Amino acid sequence: MRKTFFTVWIVLVVASLILAACGTPEVVEKPVEVTRVVVETQIVEGAPVEVTKIVKEVVTQEVVVTATPEPKEEAPDVLGLPRNEMFIAGQLTGRVGTPSNFNEWVGWKWRDRGMQNLANEPLWSVDFATGQIVPGLAAGDAVYNADFTEVTIPLRQGVAWDDGTPFTSADVVFTIETLIKYEGLNSHNFMVDNVVSVTAPDDYTVVFKLKQSNSRFHTTFLDRWGSTWIMPKHIFETVADPVTFEFNPFVGTGPYKLHSFDPNGYWTIWEKRADWDKSPTGIIFGEPKPKYVVFQAFANEGAKILAQLTHQLDAVDLSAEGLKAALAQGDTNRAYQPTFPWVVNNDPALTGLTFNTAKAPYDNPDVRWALLLAIDIVEYEGQAVDGTGTLSPVHVPSLGSYPADYIEPMQQWLSDFTLDLGNGETFKPYDTDAPKRLVVYVKDRGYVVSEEAVMVAKTFGLGWYKYAPDVAAKLLEKNGFSKDADGKWLLPDGTPWRIEVMSRSDMSHLEFKNAAAAVQQWKKFGIDAAHVPSDNVSALTGNGEFDVAGNWPAQEPWGAGADLYRVLDYYNSAYIEPVGTLTKAHTSRWSTPEMDDVIKRLRETDPANTAEVIAIGTEGLKLLVKEMPGIPTFGYIGFVSWDQTYWTNWPGSENPYNQPYTHWGPFKYMTPFLEPTGN
Amino acid sequence: MEFVKQYLIPRLVQYFLVMFVGITAVFILPRLAPSDPVERTITQLRSQGSYLDPGTMDEFIEDLTEMYGLGGSWLEQYGAFWQRLFHADFGVSFFQFPTPVNELIRTALPWTAALLLTTTVISWVGGNLVGGLAGYFNRKRWSKALDSVVMIIRPLPYYIMSFALLLLFAYVVRWFPVSGGTDIGRRAAFNWPFIKDVLRHAFLPALSLVILGGAIWFQTMKLIVQNVNAEAFVQYAKLGGVKEGRIVSRYVIRNAMLPQITGLALALGQIFSGALITEIVFSYPGLGTLLYNAIITGDYNLIMGITVISIVAITTAVLLIDLLYPLFDPRVRYA
Repeated sequence: MRKTFFTVWIVLVVASLILAACGTPEVVEKPVEVTRVVVETQIVEGAPVEVTKIVKEVVTQEVVVTATPEPKEEAPDVLGLPRNEMFIAGQLTGRVGTPSNFNEWVGWKWRDRGMQNLANEPLWSVDFATGQIVPGLAAGDAVYNADFTEVTIPLRQGVAWDDGTPFTSADVVFTIETLIKYEGLNSHNFMVDNVVSVTAPDDYTVVFKLKQSNSRFHTTFLDRWGSTWIMPKHIFETVADPVTFEFNPFVGTGPYKLHSFDPNGYWTIWEKRADWDKSPTGIIFGEPKPKYVVFQAFANEGAKILAQLTHQLDAVDLSAEGLKAALAQGDTNRAYQPTFPWVVNNDPALTGLTFNTAKAPYDNPDVRWALLLAIDIVEYEGQAVDGTGTLSPVHVPSLGSYPADYIEPMQQWLSDFTLDLGNGETFKPYDTDAPKRLVVYVKDRGYVVSEEAVMVAKTFGLGWYKYAPDVAAKLLEKNGFSKDADGKWLLPDGTPWRIEVMSRSDMSHLEFKNAAAAVQQWKKFGIDAAHVPSDNVSALTGNGEFDVAGNWPAQEPWGAGADLYRVLDYYNSAYIEPVGTLTKAHTSRWSTPEMDDVIKRLRETDPANTAEVIAIGTEGLKLLVKEMPGIPTFGYIGFVSWDQTYWTNWPGSENPYNQPYTHWGPFKYMTPFLEPTGN
Repeated sequence: MEFVKQYLIPRLVQYFLVMFVGITAVFILPRLAPSDPVERTITQLRSQGSYLDPGTMDEFIEDLTEMYGLGGSWLEQYGAFWQRLFHADFGVSFFQFPTPVNELIRTALPWTAALLLTTTVISWVGGNLVGGLAGYFNRKRWSKALDSVVMIIRPLPYYIMSFALLLLFAYVVRWFPVSGGTDIGRRAAFNWPFIKDVLRHAFLPALSLVILGGAIWFQTMKLIVQNVNAEAFVQYAKLGGVKEGRIVSRYVIRNAMLPQITGLALALGQIFSGALITEIVFSYPGLGTLLYNAIITGDYNLIMGITVISIVAITTAVLLIDLLYPLFDPRVRYA
């Protein structure tokens, strides 16, 4: 009897906790004042000039509210620092392993703790939400000579390091010379291989002479979650060994300076500089609003959600399930999109599956295509991410300028693309209705979505491939595969076909979700498929010790501009290593002479020549579709949760004035637009 | 003299032999794993979004190999390892390059030691005391009620139980912080505000460990006491009119304590492996996550640093308990 009582009591407590976490969000419309960064083209002295303006306007937004009101609380101080002047962000890469070491030129230093995203400025930054490349320490574009062996970079005037020392071209020259001099610095080999000399004709110009023609040399200084950073000469020139130097306290050119950090690596506090107007952020966008910014690491997602629900965390990246819980329970929480699918769907990365093309039978394009056609993408995406991803049929994500530059112009080619099934049979696999099928799926799930063609294309993509298991079977049979009496596929030698799909072991990661969904699809098709999660997946795939992996099917593009050199160069045959040695190329280990030719021509093309860059890039994408070394599925999905208790005017989908993450470099450019709520 | 010859010397020989074999195994095993620290550094940099120029990868690998001290044969590395070990130097961490392993351990160890020493002792004393009494008075209602509670707690997965505590005390009633070892911005100092802050943050992790540890000690002690209680010498004592308090403390508990003392020594030795799940649930600093990250990143030096300390602690604890055992159990006294 007593045992029964205790059991019932425990069940009731657990049930009440679960119920408390399961409120149903309600969507209402209300007017909201937003600040936008608007780029307008004006005619100045007869020439069109792009002008950046900051405007405020009232718009009607759909806002998610919950039925559970949060009690009003006084903003508590955090050890004497006013909470309502403090912005607290979750740290994406977790607890800092080197809390006292800020030397980001050596190894990995958890630079999203505020170094890259707040206190440091690169020459240029990619903002994937606006599609702009923002000049930070640079005053304009890099200018190459005719054969791309010399590049001149103009530097911004009026910038100072946070200790007051002016930033000049001497800092850039010193940085490059130091990188060349010391082995062990991350960019040492790149600079040794590329730079003959670097000079400063004046305080705000640097000129690089290059060892060979390189039209993309300047991109080493373009921050896309990392770049070659500039050292403060006045500090590093006094250091005996820049490799072991801790660079503590950190000195940067960003609008914030180091306040304090946890010796155990759980938090780092940054304080707004008194001379914030001497940072590129301040010069371009104005005064940052938060006086303090904290990056805090949590070792588990539950703690992140609890911290946000108790208003101790303003912005955080969660899993799909975590975001749903946070939105359901927090009446001051919002996601990137106010309504379904809520998620960040303009991150410049593409998820999917990668084949190990160095291993049979995945070295055969027919087999790779058969495995693609055995996937019902609606079921697949439903299982992986509940229909929230944007499909892409090619090896760049369907976001930013990529649909307009590549995917839309390729529609006809994709529709005409034909597979040879043998015996004179052919098949056109492209399916422009795939996004519409996804719409049906999400409506069946009870979500409200727009069926306007433009919105469907933006949310779900322009198309994918047909679910055609019968065609997949023909492609396999053409190559000697067969089925046993139980309907299981056999390899051409008659042995059972087992596919191991490898991924990270973190169940919330999109690599895991892609791998799990693929296994289900291929099992349904009659293949003995198994999911193999591993914490060592990067090394295993890098060494070619896998069949199929749930990792990115192509290198991530820049996220701004049309240039695909960053994507395609990873298929360069010169970088491929034999199985057992870490590859320098894409983990698919795929390349062809045709792709090498595309890469070579792209390298010789001025990246500013957009038409030519797109034409050559399109050729590369067509080669990838024909050969399919990896299956592109849907774009990377970010699950960002914002608490609006202390800060508002977030760069959500209705007002994407900046990329939405706090861990990307341009977060610093978000800080002038965040509005305190007055709580 | 007989004690030294027959008891002490064999145990000292065994002590040093176990340490030598254990430390050698710690040197070899990570190198057999399919996880090369140089490759892990490169894949880590890539997976964290860094673009590494494929054209200069070979030189980068050479530089890292040299910096990490992984050049030369295993034998040369093994020799260098023992040389460093005699100077209590474990080299630099690869994952947290160039931070010395000693510095990482020095930062994390006090948190782990303070939390686990305290909770191990509290749960051992509490669990054994209450378990002993509950075992002796096993027909009493309070004993049965306690047993029922422990029967519910014991099978609960520790992660679920500790997260439920976090949910209840950090979110529902908000008496304790959600995460961390101290408040954001708190600097270490030997003063009351700092100590109070540390205690407030340590309370929930400690409570979770005490509940689980206490439940385990309670159950084992209760079972042992029930068995001892049924032994003939206890029955004779009862029949002989020995006072119940004396029977409980001198006859039953004292005999039942012997395996529990061994268990305590081993539990104290294992402290140096950290408490990984506790650190994850409460975002608490300590050796657990340090060791976990070292293993998954192939950080040989850090793995060796932590496990060598752990090996020394466990073998020393076992040696001490071997040497002290005759004090508790007259049956193993020599000489």
